[in-house]
Amino acid sequence: MSAAGIVYVVDDDPSFRRAVTRMLTAAGLSVQSYSSGPELLAHLSADAAAEESGCVLADLCMPRLDGLQLQQACTELGVALPFVFLTGHGDVPSAVSAMRHGAVDFLDKCAPQQALLSSLGQALERDANARVARLKREQLAQRFAALTVREREVLEQVVQGRMNKQIAAALGIHERTVKLHRNAITTKLGVRSVAELTTLTREIAPFK
Amino acid sequence: MSLVTTLWSMQAAAALTLAVLYALVWSTDRRNLANLMVCVVAVAVAVTARDEVGMMHAATVTEYAVWASRLYLPLFFAFVGQLLFVRLFLGTGRSWLLWTIVGARVVMLVGNFLTQPNLAWREIVALRHVTFLGEQVSLAGPVVLRSWHALSLASNVLFIAFIADAALQAWRQGGAEGRRKALVVLAGVGLPLAVTLLYAQSVLLGVLPLPLLVTPAFLITILVMAVELSREFLLNRQTRQELEDLRSELARAGRVTALGQLASALAHELSQPLSAILRNAEAAELHLNGANPDLDELREIVADIRKDDRRAGDVIDQMRALIKRRTLQMHPLALNEVVEDVISLVHSDALARHVALDYVMTPGLPLVSGDRVHLSQVLLNLIINGMDAMQTCPASSKRMVIEARPREEGRVEVAVTDSGPGLPPGAIDKVFDPFYTTKSGGLGMGLPISRTIIEAHGGRLWAERAPEGSGLTFRFTLAQAQGAVS
Repeated sequence: MSAAGIVYVVDDDPSFRRAVTRMLTAAGLSVQSYSSGPELLAHLSADAAAEESGCVLADLCMPRLDGLQLQQACTELGVALPFVFLTGHGDVPSAVSAMRHGAVDFLDKCAPQQALLSSLGQALERDANARVARLKREQLAQRFAALTVREREVLEQVVQGRMNKQIAAALGIHERTVKLHRNAITTKLGVRSVAELTTLTREIAPFK
Repeated sequence: MSLVTTLWSMQAAAALTLAVLYALVWSTDRRNLANLMVCVVAVAVAVTARDEVGMMHAATVTEYAVWASRLYLPLFFAFVGQLLFVRLFLGTGRSWLLWTIVGARVVMLVGNFLTQPNLAWREIVALRHVTFLGEQVSLAGPVVLRSWHALSLASNVLFIAFIADAALQAWRQGGAEGRRKALVVLAGVGLPLAVTLLYAQSVLLGVLPLPLLVTPAFLITILVMAVELSREFLLNRQTRQELEDLRSELARAGRVTALGQLASALAHELSQPLSAILRNAEAAELHLNGANPDLDELREIVADIRKDDRRAGDVIDQMRALIKRRTLQMHPLALNEVVEDVISLVHSDALARHVALDYVMTPGLPLVSGDRVHLSQVLLNLIINGMDAMQTCPASSKRMVIEARPREEGRVEVAVTDSGPGLPPGAIDKVFDPFYTTKSGGLGMGLPISRTIIEAHGGRLWAERAPEGSGLTFRFTLAQAQGAVS
């Protein structure tokens, strides 16, 4: 199990909060606990905290801001942390709603330790993966941003499978110029083959 | 001492004993005048016994006449007492007849003290002596009667008619108990009286060579009256007990229903400490499996487990107390504690329904006199009702306020206010009617039960429009306990 990332425990019951924090810490996770949703939101609003990977373990039933509302508030804040919900008396509609909003799991407060740990593991992994993917996309987007307008036009033709000669004719430029643009593109994007170029372009989809 | 003196003394003693007994019974419940009537008749019979002995042992006509004249006073009270007893015991009988007889008796009593030797007799010619119970006793020989004697006769006949009529009415009204009472009055009061009258007439007419006697028959009458009243007393107590049992059973049903409504919230209330215990135990296990278990941490874990266990136990104790069958037990109570206990029971339910539950506590609230479980039930019922009433409101406006504050004249008032849609003015009064409900699953018994509970505490429970907003306020008052401030 991956132990990377912080588990944010949010529960209004001090006794349970302490117990679950204790157990997760003993299980090797790093845990931060909060007595209410707004407390966690205040912490996450800080820039540094947003950089941390992690997941939220929240009681569904809390005064003022309940678990589902907290999940929504996090999304609005732009902190897309995965949620694992705990409940003392699970009702189906909230479970459905929670899962629809991307909760990793919906567990009874007395759920087996392994189930809880594996759900949290999944959540942390999901967040870590999401962060890696996000980073990659950001880097790619930066690289694409470095292309000139002409280079983009050429790239568009290339991924459609056109030959240099066809591209030159379509854009009304010399074939050698097309070659120069292609070299510049592969250098800027750091790719070696046309296939790789196509895959990357699909991923970032700059022409859509 | 002669046998006559002994026997009549015993009768007088028996009558006086009953008189004292029923005076005591009457003093415990002064509204029950039938008991007082038994006492009055019994005293009258004791005095009658003394007068009769005086007559029997009279040596001269004058002495005989004095005792005979004195007899009128106890007889007056014996007759009027019996009349009113029949009236009170059966609840039937014609009033005009009753007051006619009483009027006739008053005339005779007054007339008796204005005439010699008495109102009915013009003259006692001589004394006769007859053997009675192996003893020579005196009785009036030839007696010259006045026409007033007819009034005495008429009043006696009317008396018998009154009893017969009252018994007949009671019989017609039916019911096994009513008919039994009618027969008892007829046989126990009417028959001895009729026999005494026939006997007295026979003696006066010289048919029976025996002294004038009313004590034995009247003693039978008061015995019958006493037995009947004690029977009634026992029956009443039994009925009261049955009513009380029914009321507490109903209240218990109400509590069980209220707990049923809270079931899932209570499950949550229990699962909170239980899950904390589980996580703590798991943490302890992980520590113990490690290389160097942190003993301080383990000690803290064990202490926390103990604390959560007590917490779960408290919830169960409270539920058990509410479910238990019990009668009203009044004790001085700190209302704040009762309200806080109830809030801890409904806390989870309120959370799940997004209701903000506030308790406005007044410091220095006096102790009230009440039954903790029954008052919890009333609060529980009012809070659940309020939350149900706010079902359709937007979550942000669901607010419930519980207030307790001292009121005038040593009373404490508790108010439970919701922010629901309220009720039209006409419907507010109906909420306490049995089976009146606005909920699909409701039985409509919660509020009537709550009201009987508060009334059993000597307080009042009523509903009114909330001072602010559209919701309802339920208020109840309780008597302050004698003594300190909580």
